[in-house]
Amino acid sequence: MAEVLILGAGVSGHTAALHLRRLLGSQHKVTVVSPNSQWNWIPSNIWVGVGEMAKKDVVFPLAPVYARKKIGFHQAKAVAIRPKGDADDPRGAVDIEYTLPEKAGTTERLRYDYLINATGPKLKFEATEGMGPGGHTESVCTADHAVEANHKLREVIEVLKTGKPQTLVVGTGHGTCTCEGAAFEYVFNVDHELRQAGVRDLARVVYLTNEAALGDFGVDGMVFDQQGFQTTSELWTGSLFRERGVEAIVGTHVHRVEERTIHYETLDGTSHTLEFDFAMLIPPFGGVPLQAYDAEGNDITSELFAPSGFMKVDADYTPKPYEEWRAEDWPTTYAAPGYDNIWAVGIAFAPPHQISKPRKSPNGTVIAPSPPRTGMPSGVMGKTVAMTIADRIKHGTSAAPHTASMARMGAACVASAGTGLTKGSAAAMTMLPVVPDYQRYTTGRDERETRGELGLHGHWVKLMLHYLFLYKAKARLGWQMIPE
Amino acid sequence: MAQLSMHEPAGGGNPVLDLSKAPLPTAKTLGARRNLWLQFWRFVAFDLRIMRMVIKGHH
Ligand SMILES: Cc1cc2nc3c(=O)[nH]c(=O)nc-3n(C[C@H](O)[C@H](O)[C@H](O)COP(=O)(O)OP(=O)(O)OC[C@H]3O[C@@H](n4cnc5c(N)ncnc54)[C@H](O)[C@@H]3O)c2cc1C
Repeated sequence: MAEVLILGAGVSGHTAALHLRRLLGSQHKVTVVSPNSQWNWIPSNIWVGVGEMAKKDVVFPLAPVYARKKIGFHQAKAVAIRPKGDADDPRGAVDIEYTLPEKAGTTERLRYDYLINATGPKLKFEATEGMGPGGHTESVCTADHAVEANHKLREVIEVLKTGKPQTLVVGTGHGTCTCEGAAFEYVFNVDHELRQAGVRDLARVVYLTNEAALGDFGVDGMVFDQQGFQTTSELWTGSLFRERGVEAIVGTHVHRVEERTIHYETLDGTSHTLEFDFAMLIPPFGGVPLQAYDAEGNDITSELFAPSGFMKVDADYTPKPYEEWRAEDWPTTYAAPGYDNIWAVGIAFAPPHQISKPRKSPNGTVIAPSPPRTGMPSGVMGKTVAMTIADRIKHGTSAAPHTASMARMGAACVASAGTGLTKGSAAAMTMLPVVPDYQRYTTGRDERETRGELGLHGHWVKLMLHYLFLYKAKARLGWQMIPE
Repeated sequence: MAQLSMHEPAGGGNPVLDLSKAPLPTAKTLGARRNLWLQFWRFVAFDLRIMRMVIKGHH
């Protein structure tokens, strides 16, 4: 019997757990550790953040799904990894601390034969003074944050209805943020809500971003083929913002947020302030803090984890200039170096470097979007590692690993606003691959698949993805037929 | 990826981009974005593209 332990029940960890259960016989144990009792389809938090969906529409309880699929579940957070076990047992172990209300605070040491770290991001609101739900800005990174963001948005809309102008700021709260696509989606939705409420003319909507140019999205921008001409995601986004009257400020690092004032610096080194009545700023992401110890109890955290807190995998981490970055730098198996039974997938793995060109202001302030690790690649990574582990268990440890690189995989980002099937609108982007490969493609990406489109169809796509992925995550009949 | 420079401070103390050179859609384009028949085919094309990306990305 083999025991597989998965830390995290988000897009990548939950996908890995379901596939492992499907691929392995019942004599093998699959166990998930996650501090949240619920699964969240995070992309739809955007709709919760503008009141188009309720929290209950984007989450569901994990325990019944795991009980039905015979997957062990501990509602707890992992705090430490012991890859070589301890004095009592040489098998790998993970220390967990329960978050389940009845057992809150109690700890346990779980043993494993195979371990997947899929713990996602730590939302680092503390990186910018005054940012976040505990400070002066909103977030849509969790369903609860999104509910709160919608409350604040409604308050501002009520003020607008009295005829008083308001400024709404949406964007990134730090120079090293990722997930600009989510901020872009949210600003698109906020603009739509203001129009629906009939108050758009009184609202100033500002998109404040660490991207050096509009349409960068942390992936160095995209080149689209539009009716036989090459156009860029910069022009595409610029057109969209011009049409909707959204003001854009690029290349920013937010230093501090006070009640109603954002203090930020731009790439040219100048400092500015922006007054606001409502702000939703995405925080920078770090790795979930996990310690690592050897069998004697010595701290080996820096061996397993990068300083950012993300877990090191089979990437090429040699520091090199932007011009020398290659697609091959990106990991393919997600195995932790030196361990043939530990993997990190989704946001939890340490990327070798950014994708967008990193920049510094003349004051030395780093303004460098971090690479996004979006839903589709995160799910594929989870499935890929699940297949590797299943093969190892069934055919022995010499079974070749399955591979999936972000320099081969694509991603989709759909900013969709509105309700019903005929009233929505959407800006939809696809890119293949996520990490540009200039050796294979002149524009870095497959021009046939890399596109930006506007129209009602994107809204249908987003709705379809919402229902499909919730169905899949609930492991309903035929779930495995739905691709990641 | 710079091509059309849009970085023009537009006053007001904040370096807001000058988007006046970004193209605006024509009435025909706006209509096409809402045309149910046309959008149905775009929907099909988008889904096929996602499926192609899934297949290509797994190799
Ligand atoms: C607002 C928003 C909108 C987005 N929209 C899109 C989109 O349109 N398209 C797209 O492709 N991607 C989108 N993304 C990105 C997408 O959500 C991520 O790519 C995806 O969630 C990453 O999956 P993951 O498994 O790595 O992390 P997550 O899904 O965040 O899962 C992490 C899991 O680990 C758990 N965990 C945390 N700490 C611990 C611990 N100590 N021990 C054990 N478990 C732990 C968490 O509770 C969670 O279950 C969006 C992201 C945001 C924030």
